[in-house]
Amino acid sequence: MALSPMDSPRSVPGPAKTLAAKTKALAVQNAASSPLSSGASTPTEGTMDLAEQMNDQTRKQFVTGARLGEGTYAIVYAGHYRHDPTRLVAIKKIKVNADYKDGVAMDAIREIKYLQELSHPNIIKLHAVFSTKDQNLSLVLEHLPLGDLEQLWKNKDVRYGGADIKAWACMLARAVWFCHKNFVLHRDIKGNNLLIAADGNVKLADFGLARSFADPFRPMTYNVITRFYRPPELLYGARYYGGAVDVWSMGVVFAELALREFFLPSETDIQQLSVICDVFGTPTEETWPGVSKLEFYTPPSNPSSRPQPLQFWRARFGILGDDGIELLRAMLTMDPKRRLTAQQVLEHRYWTNAPRPTEKEDLPKNGGGAKVMGEDLKRRGGEIESGRADKVARKLFG
Amino acid sequence: MSRPAQRVGATPTKRLAEDGGESPLSSGLRKLDLSSRSTNLSSASDICPVCKSSRYLNQNMKFLINPECYHKMCESCVDRIFSRGPAPCPIAGCKRTLRKVRFRDQTFEDLALEREVDIRRRIGKVFNKTQDDFETLKDYNNYLEIVEDCTWNLINKVDVEETEKRLQQFAAAQSQEEAEISGTSGTSTPRNYSTPDPSSRGLLKKSLGARHALDKSQSGASTPGANGDSDTLFTFKGLKKRIAPPPEKPYDPFGGWSTTPEYYVLQDFYDVGDWLNKSRDDPAHLAGGQDIRDFYTRALCDAFSGFGVFVEDEVAGRTPEDPVIATENAAVAAVSRDVNMDDVF
Repeated sequence: MALSPMDSPRSVPGPAKTLAAKTKALAVQNAASSPLSSGASTPTEGTMDLAEQMNDQTRKQFVTGARLGEGTYAIVYAGHYRHDPTRLVAIKKIKVNADYKDGVAMDAIREIKYLQELSHPNIIKLHAVFSTKDQNLSLVLEHLPLGDLEQLWKNKDVRYGGADIKAWACMLARAVWFCHKNFVLHRDIKGNNLLIAADGNVKLADFGLARSFADPFRPMTYNVITRFYRPPELLYGARYYGGAVDVWSMGVVFAELALREFFLPSETDIQQLSVICDVFGTPTEETWPGVSKLEFYTPPSNPSSRPQPLQFWRARFGILGDDGIELLRAMLTMDPKRRLTAQQVLEHRYWTNAPRPTEKEDLPKNGGGAKVMGEDLKRRGGEIESGRADKVARKLFG
Repeated sequence: MSRPAQRVGATPTKRLAEDGGESPLSSGLRKLDLSSRSTNLSSASDICPVCKSSRYLNQNMKFLINPECYHKMCESCVDRIFSRGPAPCPIAGCKRTLRKVRFRDQTFEDLALEREVDIRRRIGKVFNKTQDDFETLKDYNNYLEIVEDCTWNLINKVDVEETEKRLQQFAAAQSQEEAEISGTSGTSTPRNYSTPDPSSRGLLKKSLGARHALDKSQSGASTPGANGDSDTLFTFKGLKKRIAPPPEKPYDPFGGWSTTPEYYVLQDFYDVGDWLNKSRDDPAHLAGGQDIRDFYTRALCDAFSGFGVFVEDEVAGRTPEDPVIATENAAVAAVSRDVNMDDVF
């Protein structure tokens, strides 16, 4: 899909790039199914078939360095290209998962499937994929050493202003817009998954929960997206949703950048819904047509809360200005039909109004370092920092 | 001044103590250090040439100099003589008028050196071209030669008047050029060097020479060229013309990526059967936010993707620097044996 003629950068129409992507994709596919695909082999040296040879060749391109971090799901190593040690990469080695004995973990499949197709400056780049002898998959990802957006707003030593927030939010919006233009739902947008490259670019990472847009009458799971960033329709158990879920998450990240604290924190899914209703008002059939038909909808027993007035937003998000507040509220609309699409978000006048977004090179930086990148990449989708990941049920099918 | 020298001479024990913890030895040494520094600055033989007061009489005596004539005198003399406004230098034979504000500490013991450094600093502010401003290294070296000649003249008092005049004219020409550039770029800089109108107060503060140079440049008879022409009495060969930076482009939220489909126009509604139409009205789809237009977009995109992609052109346009990730075998196979590459997606 990334190869389609419509979504190419205006400046570079590079046909050569496309072929490289195709050959890469072939390598990726072969790497993923190396033990199975022996049929397409041509007689070659030794006992290795073509797929194994290609896998070998890909693997030999990279030198694995120090271990940066280890999680339940993956181990992250520093690395670089063999022919050019200045080109750094991060190698994410996915552990053999007990849940998927006969194949590759779904997270890895999703990540490879979507990252190999999305090529955008604000989306983490997947250089290659190879497997090692013990059937472990290794993803060669872009080296993003400067931490993530959540660490940035948590670090009180870093000071930033409205123009910086605008620059970061715009890069996030571009990434989400590009995903949606290519019919990919990310479904796990949060500050933790927005890594910062050495040049200041924000890059969307962790496509472990991503999927492509579903066809009508093809249900999807509602148990995705880290809770703080989960939109109300998913909390109500909607099974037919679209890009609006990512826009909600994007809005929450945007709000967190301005607040420098979690905007909608909660302990449980029910509490999350009540926190949302406290701010945006309890949804009714008037404000959100069809909400009562959703699976987990319960009519409000206690007197329903009213949406917070503009004063509430002005007091908290003054740094964004009136346009920013308007955009934020439009991104955080309860009714997904009335919520802005990613395209509309980018068309908003907030981006072009003063102040002009900071150039990416001049953005405030957090000295994250390689260690932090390791921490970020090893995480599994949908996990919350506190380490109570077991509470997040992960229904990946359905 | 005396600090680095002492550091070099310091014993290893002292350095250790300085880096790390406090010890009786180190504190003792530090006291020594302080005392030696103060003696260094104030030798007992210090006598003010004006009031003949010496360090013996006044422990806290401090000497000041004025870059006008570099004659040294003590602080109390400066207060006494210059508090009521400018006055001539009290040193015999020096008739220069000095002002109190310009008196300062001296940095170097050698006053000749002090003067040379001041002159070089002043010249460096005016002649601030870098190698990038010149076409060739030779031109830059020639420029440096001229600058050094100018400096030499001022230091050794050769043709001082003439040199000063040239210097001031060059400075005026530079600032005018600066103003022109900031004027054309359309941005209003906070420090605007635009030529002031003659009645403005800023001009009154300028020295006579600068005023003269400004008048000359303002007369408009000959506007100085970018290469510092005859008007400034300097000719620098190979000096590049300074170009105003291009105005900042409006911010593009999309970052230069386009989305308009080339081969089709998307409609709002396609009547393709009950199955699809039903989802338009299905409450579950409506409340969940699934958009039928996404489906239309996707179907059409899928139908038209691959249009305008020609394998032959891509192979021909391939460069050797291309990061080949798959094997060469695969690339060859993709071309020669008509393998449908799109199927891998």
